[in-house]
Amino acid sequence: MVEPAIALFGGAYEKASHVLEELLRETGARYVLLLDRKGFVLAHKEALWAPRPPALDSLATLIAGNAAATQALAKMLGEPRFNELLHQGATYGLYAEEVGDLALLVIIFDNTAPVGRVKLFGKRAVQSLEVITKEALVEPGTLGIDREYHAGASALLDELFGS
Amino acid sequence: MSTINFAAREINFKIVYYGPGMSGKTTNLKWVFQQVPQNRKGEMVSLATEDERTLFFDFLPVDLGEVKGFKTRFHLYTVPGQVFYNASRKLILRGVDGIVFVADSAPNRLRANAESMRNLRENLAEYGIKLEDIPLVLQANKRDAPDALPVEMIQAVIDPEMRLPIFEAIATNGIGVFETLKAVSRQVLARVASAG
Repeated sequence: MVEPAIALFGGAYEKASHVLEELLRETGARYVLLLDRKGFVLAHKEALWAPRPPALDSLATLIAGNAAATQALAKMLGEPRFNELLHQGATYGLYAEEVGDLALLVIIFDNTAPVGRVKLFGKRAVQSLEVITKEALVEPGTLGIDREYHAGASALLDELFGS
Repeated sequence: MSTINFAAREINFKIVYYGPGMSGKTTNLKWVFQQVPQNRKGEMVSLATEDERTLFFDFLPVDLGEVKGFKTRFHLYTVPGQVFYNASRKLILRGVDGIVFVADSAPNRLRANAESMRNLRENLAEYGIKLEDIPLVLQANKRDAPDALPVEMIQAVIDPEMRLPIFEAIATNGIGVFETLKAVSRQVLARVASAG
């Protein structure tokens, strides 16, 4: 609503994709995602050797919720923020780090990728992504959704939910 | 605010179902999940307690289809209605594009409806949003309850100026569910179109 949105396209998207690809290669992770704090996927890359990832929408929503809850906990404890989020199971791990105020970097890895490497290269990627996402900020109302789009979407609403 | 993913050619909107505990927010989502064709919906995620009370949120992505080359998707969320889960409720409201307020028609829930609306106003204010500035529709649910209050009485406590659209619903059998969702979706689309 009042906060600006990240519109990642064109050169900014290419740059972010490049950073994610590098990160995937350097860490040996399965999947890397760039999300906004609302839980929408802005960009993602997956290792070719890895199986298809779970539903990205659900993944992104849960991680954004988890990150938001973690920050709320930090504030309650008088800490400005907890910088990272790490979950590790017997086989899989998930690492999430804030990218500025509006985005999150997520790395999903298995036990062939050392956590230290994931964190090291993750933090490095965050620095690049922070610059890219800052440049891709747009204010509300400048996204260019026009009346023609509105009419088309409205017709689809009738089709899906009945008129 | 909506998110456009130009790379994936997607436009995403976030709609949140708000209201007091047990008013039927999750039931609304479950009905949508059951009725929308498989190829137009994603997984429904529910973070609930063992007795099926929402703990953090429910989530359901619905694909509207493609407009002008962009896939349009609504992300539907519910908040936990119980009073003591306010910290979680506040988090879910971040970046909201439209709200459905699900009120309970039972007489003994009238006060809970009013308190939940006040809580919504307060939580939105923390994001710098006024209730008047966001697409919002009301739903008077559980109209099949034998002692259901008149809709006007419910609206009088949650929307005393009577400025918001209100839909009668029995979410357990789907009555009013799509009508409510369509109304808020239209408002959300109208809002972004007028801003663009």
